[in-house]
Amino acid sequence: MTTTTDSAVLPASPSLSVLAAATATHDTGRDGDIALPKLPGFVESAFSPLAYEVAARCLTERPGDGDRTAVALVSLAGDTTTADLASSRMVSGRVHNPLLFMQATANSVLGHMSREFGITGQMFSLSTLAEPLTELLAMADLLLEDPELERVLVVGVELGGGERVAAVRRELTAEYSARPVPALPASAGLAAAVLLGRPGDGGASQVPVRPTKATTDQLGSIQTLFELAATHTETRETHTHAHQ
Amino acid sequence: MFGVSREVTVTGYGVRSAFGEGAEGLRRGVFAGVPGFRPTTRFDTGPYRTAFAAAAPDGADAVEGWALRHALRQCGDDALRMAGLGAGAEAAVLLGVAGDHRSVTRYWREGDGSYDGRGAVVAGHAVPRAPEGARLADAVPARLAELLAEGLGLVGPRLAFTNACVASAAAIIHGCRLISSGRIDVAVCAGGYLVEEETFGKFDSGRALSRDGMVRPFSADRSGLLLGDGVAAVVLESAEHARRRGARPLVSVVGWGAATDAHHIAQPHPEGAGLARAARQALRLAGDPDGASLDYINAHGTGTKYNDGAETRGLRAAFGKRAESIPVSSTKSTTGHLLEAAGVVEFVITVLTLLDGVLPPTAGYGTPDPECDLDYVPNSPRPADARRALTINAAFGGANTALVLERP
Repeated sequence: MTTTTDSAVLPASPSLSVLAAATATHDTGRDGDIALPKLPGFVESAFSPLAYEVAARCLTERPGDGDRTAVALVSLAGDTTTADLASSRMVSGRVHNPLLFMQATANSVLGHMSREFGITGQMFSLSTLAEPLTELLAMADLLLEDPELERVLVVGVELGGGERVAAVRRELTAEYSARPVPALPASAGLAAAVLLGRPGDGGASQVPVRPTKATTDQLGSIQTLFELAATHTETRETHTHAHQ
Repeated sequence: MFGVSREVTVTGYGVRSAFGEGAEGLRRGVFAGVPGFRPTTRFDTGPYRTAFAAAAPDGADAVEGWALRHALRQCGDDALRMAGLGAGAEAAVLLGVAGDHRSVTRYWREGDGSYDGRGAVVAGHAVPRAPEGARLADAVPARLAELLAEGLGLVGPRLAFTNACVASAAAIIHGCRLISSGRIDVAVCAGGYLVEEETFGKFDSGRALSRDGMVRPFSADRSGLLLGDGVAAVVLESAEHARRRGARPLVSVVGWGAATDAHHIAQPHPEGAGLARAARQALRLAGDPDGASLDYINAHGTGTKYNDGAETRGLRAAFGKRAESIPVSSTKSTTGHLLEAAGVVEFVITVLTLLDGVLPPTAGYGTPDPECDLDYVPNSPRPADARRALTINAAFGGANTALVLERP
């Protein structure tokens, strides 16, 4: 039995504000599931289309200086659909698909985002067994100490996955028995994005980062990020309707 | 201008490559200009366009049969020992890794039945080739960061960076930011990649692998990259913390930068725009925006047509005419491309460059390329009293990183 040490370097979230937020789900059975958006150059997997969808909604809603924007994407196991497809093709003797090679790392969809929205700040991807929202807020707070940056887009993606992913989950659960690993239907995926800045920067529509009702002790689950994004999206919509 | 609030030093390192363990292995290979490429026997290379990689040979001290988890642990132990730290120390563990792909390949080859869910082999099933081999969950990058931290007995946050060929450089930059800002005192930053069929096949499908069994960065006859084994860990520590406990800093990290090309999913910006931006950020932080104090640059230098010309133009964009008088070499010409581990292994190579006073050469350099017109330290090591050096990396998606190291 091992334990995961949550980050000891986490700042208080009052130093951050939400500039925009978005969520998307696919094949989860939840209300609002979407068909996978087409993303040129990306095939078979929900990972990159969902990551791009939520990022694009935030960056479209609040356009800003791409030179002063950083992006951090978190996913416990990454694009497992692409990994399994590429691996199973290889062991069965089929020809490798260069498209699967391209999209195997999250760098590819991050690169696509950077091109479409002119983002030249740092972009990177992470995997953590701790609570991803906590890690992402800490990361954003640290990055925003750099005066060359004024916004950080944090993105989380979680996929269902097939039999290998289920086996990985069983192994992780056995190791960390108190902290189950999230499970979605095999073809499902969910993603959330939150565009963060400092309070007082960037206009009147900022919303402070607030705690959400959701809590999770699931290993690496993006559920709290998802709830934060959903809460802020609902708040914005309510605010908009109240002023119409 | 934003500056380094607290000085970040390096107090220990551990490294493994195709040349074996530790600095001596690197001196025998990288610093002698001896490429580590040979046909690998690690898997059947018949379906692929080349058989070559800088993979450690079979044998008692080979990393071939190891799981990545063990290689990382060994390098972490070596780094902590050199730094004079041990179990119980408070230190962040920041790991650049994509997970152990061998577990994915083996799953699809052997199915789920070989393991009992805890990684033990089920009776009656085939025993994996490596008795202490990778387990299914080792495909999860965060799991390897946890294992490394647990194995080293370190207390603190653990995080895996998964952004391909800049992953471990990004981990180092994050460690520098955490220490510089005063959030932590010590970080063990590591990275690992061991040559395996899964990634080899992907690079082959992308026609990225060299056709002649050599990697010839910046040379007109370059035809691509080759993969290599690389695992390393470095101990970053605030100068104040090191001083308090009487540790001797090897070098300081005086600047860092990271930027994105905003150009293409797979190809670098043709003018090296993101790389130049990252380098300029790092040099500004180091208080030397023109790079006047730079004595050496460890280049990304993959040996591909796209990268090397773009990188050369990026260096010119960053340093102007000054770029022509800074020696630049690509140690991937001897180690191969170490993917997620490239940043940290090349960081260690840059530390050794400063400590040993020898510039590692660009091996395999043949015909000059008009679009690559800098001093690439061709083929032979060069003595040099280098005090400051820059190490740069780039990755898929247009990610770029830069780190400036300085000898005390």
